[in-house]
Amino acid sequence: MSGRDVRVFVHPRRLAALALAMVGVFVVLGVRLWDLQVVQGAHYRELAEQNRVVRLPVLASRGVVYDRTGRLLARNDPGFAVNVLPVDVPRAREAELASRLAPLVERGAEEILKAIGDQRVRNPYEPVKVSARPVPRDVALLLVERAEMYPGVRVSGEAMRSYVDGPLYAPLLGYVGPIDEEEFSERKDAGYLLRDTIGKTGLEWQYERYLRGTLGWREIERDASLRELRTLALVPPKPGNDLVLTIDDRLQKLISDELERGVREDRFTQAVGIAMNPQNGEILAMVSIPAYDNNAFIQGVSNAQMRAWNSDDRHPLVNKAIGDIYPPGSTFKMVTGLSALSTGVATRNTVVNVNTNVLVVDGWKFYDWRVHGALDFVNGFAHSSDIYFYTLGGGNPYSGQRGAGPEALAKYGRMLGFGTPTGIDLPGEASGIMPDPTWKLTTFDEPWTLGNTYHASIGQGFVAVTPLQLLNAYASVANGGTVYRPHVLKEVRGTDGTVVAAPAPQVARKLDMRQEDLRLIREAARRVVTVGHAYMPNAKLPIAGKTGTAEFGESQGVDAAGRQRLGFHNWFVSFLPKEDNADPTAEIAMVLFTFDSSRSVCDVCFNPAVALTQRILEAYRGGDGKVGVP
Amino acid sequence: MSVRPIALQQAASPLHDRPTARRLLDFDWILLIATVLLIGYGLVMGYSITIEDRTFSGDVGQQMLRGVLYAVIGVSAMAIVALVDYAWLGTFAPVFYLLTLALLVAVLFGGQSTLGATRWYTVAGFKFQPGEFAKVFMVIVLAKWFADRDARSPLTLIGGLAILAVPVGLVFKQPDLGTSLVFLGMFVGMAFVAGARLWQLTAILAGAAAVMPVVWGVLKDYQRARLTVFLDPYSDPQGAGWNIIQSLIAVGSGSLTGKGLTAGTQSPLGYLPISESDFVFAGLAEDLGFVGAATLFALYVALLLSALRIAYRSRDAFGSYLAGGVAAMLGFQIVVNVGMAISLMPVTGIPLPFISQGGSSLISICFALGALQAISMRREQKAVA
Repeated sequence: MSGRDVRVFVHPRRLAALALAMVGVFVVLGVRLWDLQVVQGAHYRELAEQNRVVRLPVLASRGVVYDRTGRLLARNDPGFAVNVLPVDVPRAREAELASRLAPLVERGAEEILKAIGDQRVRNPYEPVKVSARPVPRDVALLLVERAEMYPGVRVSGEAMRSYVDGPLYAPLLGYVGPIDEEEFSERKDAGYLLRDTIGKTGLEWQYERYLRGTLGWREIERDASLRELRTLALVPPKPGNDLVLTIDDRLQKLISDELERGVREDRFTQAVGIAMNPQNGEILAMVSIPAYDNNAFIQGVSNAQMRAWNSDDRHPLVNKAIGDIYPPGSTFKMVTGLSALSTGVATRNTVVNVNTNVLVVDGWKFYDWRVHGALDFVNGFAHSSDIYFYTLGGGNPYSGQRGAGPEALAKYGRMLGFGTPTGIDLPGEASGIMPDPTWKLTTFDEPWTLGNTYHASIGQGFVAVTPLQLLNAYASVANGGTVYRPHVLKEVRGTDGTVVAAPAPQVARKLDMRQEDLRLIREAARRVVTVGHAYMPNAKLPIAGKTGTAEFGESQGVDAAGRQRLGFHNWFVSFLPKEDNADPTAEIAMVLFTFDSSRSVCDVCFNPAVALTQRILEAYRGGDGKVGVP
Repeated sequence: MSVRPIALQQAASPLHDRPTARRLLDFDWILLIATVLLIGYGLVMGYSITIEDRTFSGDVGQQMLRGVLYAVIGVSAMAIVALVDYAWLGTFAPVFYLLTLALLVAVLFGGQSTLGATRWYTVAGFKFQPGEFAKVFMVIVLAKWFADRDARSPLTLIGGLAILAVPVGLVFKQPDLGTSLVFLGMFVGMAFVAGARLWQLTAILAGAAAVMPVVWGVLKDYQRARLTVFLDPYSDPQGAGWNIIQSLIAVGSGSLTGKGLTAGTQSPLGYLPISESDFVFAGLAEDLGFVGAATLFALYVALLLSALRIAYRSRDAFGSYLAGGVAAMLGFQIVVNVGMAISLMPVTGIPLPFISQGGSSLISICFALGALQAISMRREQKAVA
């Protein structure tokens, strides 16, 4: 039978070849599979987990700030942040995404593109925040609902810092803002994210470590279109701790209202008011006018606004209570007096016969504001006689009396805290200038003259102080010789209300002076008011204090607010003894500084700070004569 | 004494079929078992992937019922075709050809689109993909063409190509690059089995290579990207390489024994594109690991070798080439689909036989396998013995 022959249509070798080829191909596929699944299986399993599981940081809510009575000063309002996770943005769609987001987050498309590009290089698995400020709810909803149009975009809740009283506390609280490159590179190991918020200045900067809290983590499972399916693990963030300040909101507002009214009534153009408890250095109020609205920095401050603030000659961005320095004027006579008493060139009975209003030395004329007649220490201080304190500071060639001399002035001035920062827990504190002959020689390459001593003796010339330094010096005299480091932080509280930290009063130094000399100053300061030099009609409180007039700056033209500039600036630094005596028991001390105030030759008649002090303290104390801080 | 037997002629006629009882004994049991196991495997994977898909909003039971229904239709079609003498298929080859053209033209004008390609239309609530049937029909048409002619003549090859060109063009227009390629692979395989001269086949392949630049110009951007990116998927991990990388991760993370049925993470989370069809192999390899994939390969090899054995035993040229063509078609699809999932081949939308979910693919394959059983049942016993 020729069955084989007729089956010419079958080509067995070709079929065999085909079979062999097929088996061969499956072997190749099998080998490749073995390599992928068995050899590299663990690697791919890890990749699959990474695909599925993302670890996302959960920001901690920032601590809030209260005054000492529990009034909220800084809080968090709900808002939304727009973030982009670069790993989820196809490169080809980057530009498209940026231009879509730009109008929604009110930033330039290039900026957003750059942010995404930079983050892609840095860490594409960490979201980068593209919204400079919180976006409203409807924008957040749009981004979530149209996720396919916004690849890689995530919306997260972002608390918006809100400062309840804006400018009133701006000099103290400062503000928070988005972390910048420099801040981030310093802190990235401390758990900061690139889209983080950080305290930029003020207490927000100072106590960032308490306020910030600790990041939490959330592990989520997601699908390929990046929808979150479920949370696999959650390490909750630890919210930041709350700050309780030593500030008494009521006093802060009393001072601020009075000073604001003075500016409105054109009695002065700028003002500073600080109150503290001399017994422990707690700052009860700190007002700097004009200030800025720190809420503006949260909303995103415009360049024009920033330029306006920076070019404003009233320095609204500076906390003038600690950041600007001024001649202390006659308030500095306390330093001259204490120097003379401590070095023994004067006692409470030292009499200077001021029978002229000008002291002429080597042809230079040094004026007093009037002819006082014979003055002892208390009356010299109470009437603020310049010639009396020229004599105590630099000596008197006519009577042959010796003065304390510039070195002693500098020594006791520094002891009282002048020339160095007080160390308050706020950034941007100035040192001030406490000059001596060496300082003048190194700074100006000129020898010290007797005229320099005379000027320093009445707080003019080179002497420059911050209002806080002046207050702290008087407070140390008022409490009997302890210089505290002023502070505004009373305690740090956890979210459950427990006290996490409560800084104890810090003593900077003790005054190396006789108690009787300090008592004499307190007595003389009370006499300033009782003789009517600092005129307080119908006084209800035994306020003691010292006036001062600083003369510097121009007296022509107008300032940024269009107000007349006057080179006269008034001080009144005061403390409130418990009774009408000179015991070191005062629990409140206050300094008011009014800038560009009345043009006056006498610093009693039109010193607005005196009347303001009486009004503020009487209102604060309710006129019941009771002293003590709530 | 040596009378040239005319039995061959008679047997080739559908009017001279053999008795049913004897035919049934010659059923190809290996092919049948492989087919049934593969259909079962496909149902299990369909279940697993449906369960895993958390974005699937339909009724899982209904989805499974649909799969079972396709399987029943497929097995029934297979039985019916097996019982009828396959010579009828050859007789009606011109009808199949016209039917193919009609279906493909209809889908171009009246079809529905997904992902930019018009490949199916709805018939009585079922998605109907004519491209899948066109492949099987063209195997019949080409088998008849080669059986009636001398395959060694270049005219036969050129004529065959001409016949093929029209449906290939129509499929390419959908656009369905993958199915077009299956047609070509199938044609070369059949010509090879039919005994075409190797140099002529080489010439065809060379010609195909020569027109590649032209085809390249016609291709859409996404097709070009998919064709080249498999060489280095990480060159565009977020774009064209995304599918491949995710598929590799799915396959690789399956390891030796897999994550377990319904326990995969890549396809349910949507990382695998078209996980129920084009990338179904990646889902399978993730769920069942190397063991599951190797089992699948074993079933495929058994099926393909059975098909080739049927081709070898066939009583006539038409049956032999038909079986060879079905083997080439299935083999080509499997290799391209699996190769795509493990980044050995470009990404083209070709379903994986039995495993990819879809009635058209399963039913058309069952139809072809029914024809193979018919060939087996009517084989020339002595020639093999």
